[in-house]
Amino acid sequence: MDQRNFVFMFYGFLAAWLIVVGYVISLARRGARLKKELEDVKQLAGSAQAQPGRLEDRVR
Amino acid sequence: MREKVAIGLGTASALLLTYTLYQMFMVLSDEVLQGAIYRIMFFHVPAAMIGMIGFFVALTMSVLYLSSGHLRYDALAASIIEVSVIFATVNIVTGSIWARIIWGVWWVWDYRLTSQLVCILIFAGYLMMRRAIDEPTQRARLSAALCIFGCVDVVIVWKSIEWFRNNHPGPVLTFRTGGGTMDPSMEHVLYWNLLALLLLGIALVLVRTRQDDMAREIDSLRRLANASA
Amino acid sequence: MLRQALSVARKDLSIELRTKESLNASIAFAISILLLFSFAFDAVLQDTVNFAAGLLWLVVAFAGALVFNRGFARELPNECLDALLASPLSAASLVIGKALANLAMLLVVELVSLVVFGIFFNVHWTTHPLFLAILFLLATWGISLLGAVFGALTVNLRLRELMLPVIIYPVLVPLLIAAIEITNTLLSIQPVGATEFAWGKMLVVFDIVFTALAVFLADTILVN
Repeated sequence: MDQRNFVFMFYGFLAAWLIVVGYVISLARRGARLKKELEDVKQLAGSAQAQPGRLEDRVR
Repeated sequence: MREKVAIGLGTASALLLTYTLYQMFMVLSDEVLQGAIYRIMFFHVPAAMIGMIGFFVALTMSVLYLSSGHLRYDALAASIIEVSVIFATVNIVTGSIWARIIWGVWWVWDYRLTSQLVCILIFAGYLMMRRAIDEPTQRARLSAALCIFGCVDVVIVWKSIEWFRNNHPGPVLTFRTGGGTMDPSMEHVLYWNLLALLLLGIALVLVRTRQDDMAREIDSLRRLANASA
Repeated sequence: MLRQALSVARKDLSIELRTKESLNASIAFAISILLLFSFAFDAVLQDTVNFAAGLLWLVVAFAGALVFNRGFARELPNECLDALLASPLSAASLVIGKALANLAMLLVVELVSLVVFGIFFNVHWTTHPLFLAILFLLATWGISLLGAVFGALTVNLRLRELMLPVIIYPVLVPLLIAAIEITNTLLSIQPVGATEFAWGKMLVVFDIVFTALAVFLADTILVN
């Protein structure tokens, strides 16, 4: 029983870490994709108009 | 700037976690009744607390969005809910693994597990609904409404399922029981871990919100490009 | 507002009565589910009483999804929804009206299910008819209201038919628990006691809170 106790403890820690790390990786990938898309669209719109986006903040 | 804050928080969190992991494994001895597995609690309990707090902070953000109209609040609400769902999932999975050893089963339909599962399902539905709407204002509006309904329901769910079933371990933290049920050294590590995970959660929310900002920027630039084309 | 809601409800119900599409589909669905449950649980006569209440409410919840999906979706062709919103009708009365229509339809489905249930599973539901009626009214109002609200929420979404059940079922959990608990007692020979009244109070609180929220947030959900 003691053996399984330790093993399961590690499974528990592993599970917690896998979930968090998995989420962080998915966030990182989404971030990279968005960055690339932003660069593409900035080029499309023309660099003169590429101000940090506050245009769309107020919507009412 | 925000990225630097996020990185700073992430580093602080990592350092704290290293400290607490060291405490957990090198300093604290095994618990008398449970053996080694009790250490899961150091992640299980803080994850639950952060998840719950997160849902209610998101509620505040949703209400702020509805009253002010700033899409920033919507982005914050969505990011917080996403990170809270992750923490709630960590809570359920770690609890399940703990339960397999201590109770002999992976799952019981006790009130806290069931309530937490219902919360996760409600907010997973929220996240799914957001994916299904493209227009940002409509998405923000409907998400805010759903978040309010969801959070009100969360309160009712917890109270009603508590009536219905009850065999989860009772409160052990000092602020709930007034002292004496958990060894102070263990409780101390748990609170440090709570701080560490909270910092991590905030860092993740900041990153996620920044991504939402980028998405909105892309959207508006696209419209600009289409308009001038 | 109530008069407006009632006229919306009357409109929906008259459309429904003319075609009976939702009603027939829901009743047929309810009976099929009951049939499947009979295989799933291998119903031995004495045991059915234990899970009868749960089965009944599950059937209502599932059949309800069919009704709710149609509720706002039927306003989409020819932009009827936009017309309704542009009219002097308030968004709140639209939602409440739809909820009332849902209530009426669900009550019919429930009555049919109860009869079929009694036959298939030999369940006696006539021991406490008044309490059963009140329970059905309270619980079905909660379900219909949330069905109307979430129907309004999901009407313009992709995958509407999928999103509605996904969102509504977790939110309905406390209501279903209360309904099942009370029905358990009402279907068996036990007397109605304090626990049932406590659950009943919870049902009332649920209904009041969500009706208030629905009225308050109807504009947010429907108006562009």
